[in-house]
Formats: sequence, structure tokens, C-alpha cells
Amino acid sequence: MTKAIEIENFSYAYPDGTIALSDVNLGVEHGEKIALIGPNGAGKSTLLLVMAGFVRGTGKVKIDGLEVNRANLRSIRACLGACLENPEDQLFMPTLFDDVAFGPLNMGLSHEEISKRVADALQTVGLPGMGDKAPHHLSAGQKRAAAIATVLSMDPKIITLDEPDGSLDPRNRNNLVRLLKRLSQTLVIATCNMNFAAALADRAVLVNKGRVVAEGDAGKIMRDLQLMVEHGLEVPGIHFS
Amino acid sequence: MHHAHIDKFAYQDSPVHRLDSRVKLVVVLVFTAVVVSLPRTSLSILACYAVGPFAILVWAGIPLRFTFKQILLVSPFVLVLALSCPLYDRTPAAVAFGPFSWRLTLGWMRCFAILAKFIVTMLALIALVSTTRFSDLLAGLQKLGLPRVLVIQLGFLYRYIFVLIDRAQHILRARAGRKLRNLGLKAELKIAGAMLGSLFIRSIDTAEHIDTAMQARGFDGKWRTLAKLRIRTADCVFASAAAAFIFTLYFFLKPLLQ
Repeated sequence: MTKAIEIENFSYAYPDGTIALSDVNLGVEHGEKIALIGPNGAGKSTLLLVMAGFVRGTGKVKIDGLEVNRANLRSIRACLGACLENPEDQLFMPTLFDDVAFGPLNMGLSHEEISKRVADALQTVGLPGMGDKAPHHLSAGQKRAAAIATVLSMDPKIITLDEPDGSLDPRNRNNLVRLLKRLSQTLVIATCNMNFAAALADRAVLVNKGRVVAEGDAGKIMRDLQLMVEHGLEVPGIHFS
Repeated sequence: MHHAHIDKFAYQDSPVHRLDSRVKLVVVLVFTAVVVSLPRTSLSILACYAVGPFAILVWAGIPLRFTFKQILLVSPFVLVLALSCPLYDRTPAAVAFGPFSWRLTLGWMRCFAILAKFIVTMLALIALVSTTRFSDLLAGLQKLGLPRVLVIQLGFLYRYIFVLIDRAQHILRARAGRKLRNLGLKAELKIAGAMLGSLFIRSIDTAEHIDTAMQARGFDGKWRTLAKLRIRTADCVFASAAAAFIFTLYFFLKPLLQ
């Protein structure tokens, strides 16, 4: 069986020559929830962009068995939903309904199917009946949930989330943890919040200076005080319910 | 975000709010064209025209205080134009209203006509914007044949103007927090330039992220929307009533009142 994500010997440098990712190898099984942890500027966000086909470098990247190249991009983006770091960038339509319907519309689905998917996605993220709301009228927590709904409506097998807990208060963060735990999709979550990562992930991949430094059981990796401190991180202390 | 939104009453529910956006758009366009085309001597007919949008605002439950605040907000631009009229046209003119009559100049008459037309058309515009969600307005504009690229641009403008205002406010706040004395015009201009530059770069950054978000959801350059607009009996009744109001005043009452 093919893996959800396979990355082999991937390297990428920014146009100014700065190495962003260096010889990255990573495999993610279907249904896994993995946390990409690392300090700021470690290469986590770039790695997520690589998975979604936005960044091309040297090496092999496969999503659900499909090699990431121009010819496969449409299929890959229907299979992998990318949630950006800032929900303001993710929610660009005048209403929440239009935003959640944007992906399904581009997939060429029927209007009935799109309406159903939008209603289901909004229900899943806890925003039922809010389709008529303008994104700028939502709270930070609602924006984050809405951003997730925009990819859920495409029914992807894999969802990547870039710092999804950013600027959320503890209650909203708890709600987000509960929501993400409920999802059956393969989740790749980039975060520097170890409590958040510990509450969600089965497996952790520690990235620093563009390299995968360590990977394995989330609890084991994140309890390694020396490893975490060495890479500018902390050991999780508080666990989410 | 704490700034007021121009369409903050568009999410209410009333018979006017439920009307099709295309009908409201066409009515407001025709109304505006007719009002603008009235001669400068038609002040009394302009007063009659004001009744239409005024009644709609009241019927839709839009607070009049909000309406007049919006008019005041835009008025400086028109005031400059209107108040310049008496300066260049001093031809004497006589004005009569019932038993009263007085002498003015044509410049002052033009000034009053510009102000009256501005208030009446603004009333209509506010009635449209306050009773129609912006997304419905965009859908209506698209259905009425406005080029798709313009509709998309308007959509993005509406969506991100508030984000931009917010960012500008944050930058101004950050400046105020650290600016403890007057720095002089040259330094202030330098800071303002840097602030504008920062805003510009962040805007480009945001545009790139939005492009990424759109492509991630399968955007291939074609803009697809779900058509939700439908003309119903109420829309036809409203359009007929509006047409009767606009053209009765224009063709029958205008000659009598002039």
C-alpha cells in the first residue's frame, strides 16, 4: 500500500542561496497524525509547501502515490488540503459559504453536492448555519475553524496545518485540539507549541536548520529534555483534555 | 477589528433586504441617473425624489443617524465642488417658492442643486448598501454583465480593505507608543514613508499567500460561483413601484413644480 506522504532526499535552497531544506527524508502513513516540530525558521512551513507542490527542489516527493509534478498538481491538491498559517489569507471570499465552496467548485462538483459539503464542513468545525457571515466578522477561533472547513469541504485524504494554534486562547486551542482529534484524515501539523503537538500527534518529526533531526513516537521525542533544549524547544507540561 | 463596516446593516432581515440584488442595483442606477439629469432649478422635485430612498431606509429599519453620518463622511469632497460654484457664477437669479420669493446668484443655485442631488443619491446608495450583502451585490453585478475580473477585484477589495485598515492602525499605534516627542516634518515624512513601505510589502506578502491558498484549493484561473439569485414576485412589484415613482415624478410632476 502506498504511503500518504513520501519524501526522499529532498533539498531546496531559496533564490538567495539560503538552504531551506537539506536531504529531507520523511514517510507518513495514511491516518497518521504527525507533528512537525522545530524552532522558528527551521523549515517546517517550507516542508508543508513542498508537500502541496508549491516548492520544487531536488529529490522525490509523492502524495498518496502520486509524484508531485506539474501534471499531477490538480489531483494532488484535491487529495491534500493545505491550511496556511494565517486564516486571513485562507479566507478570501466575501462570505464563509463562498469560501468553503471555493475548493469544491474548482473540483467541478454539482451544486447540490457543493451545498451539502459546505454544510457538512461547517457542521464539523462547529460553525453550522454561519455560511452567510463575512470572514471579517468572525472571531480568531472561528476564523481558524473556518479555515479548516475550507479544506474539509474538498474531502482530502491529507490535511497539512501550519501553526494552527497561533494566536488562539486556551479555550479555542482546546476546541481546535478536539476538532483535529475527531478528523479521520492524515494530519501533518507544523507547530512550535509542544503542548499542542503532544495533545494531537502520534508521531513527531523534529526539524531544525532544514534537516530532520529526529523522528519517532511523539511522547518519547518530546520528553527528551536534552534534545528539545538543544533545538530551542521545550518539554510539554500541560496536557489538553 | 473595531472599525465600522459600511454594510453593517446588510445582514438584517426585512422585505427590502430580501429583494434580489440585481433589481435593487438597477433601480438605484436608474434613480441616480434621473436625479443627476434634473436641471439645477429642480430643488422642489429633488425634495420629492428624496422621499423614495428615505421611505426604503425607514422600511428596512436602517437608523437615520447612521445614514446621515455616512453622508457627512463623504460630504467634504462634494462640499468643495459645491461651494466653489458661487465664486465663479455670480449671475443674478430670482427664486420663488409659493408666496415667497428672493434673489440669489446662479452659482448659489448650482451649489444647492449639487448638494441636494448629492444627498438624494447618497440616500439611495446607502439604502442599497445597507440592505444588500456585499456578496449578493457582487453576484448581482456579475449577473448584470460586469466583467468577471472587475467583480473579483471588488470582492478582494471588500475582503481585504478591513485587514489593511487594521494593519495600518496597528502600525500607527506602534508608532504612537514609541513617539515621545515631535520629530519635525522631515523626520515625520521619513517615518510615514517607511510605514507606507511596510504596509505595501505586507500587502504583497498577503497577496502571495492568498494566491497560494487559492491554488491549494484547485484554482486554475477560472472563477466559479454558485448562482443563488432568483427574481420573485416581490422583486417585480418593487421594480414596478420604483419605476412608477421615478417616472411619475419626472414626466408628470416635474413640469408642474418647475
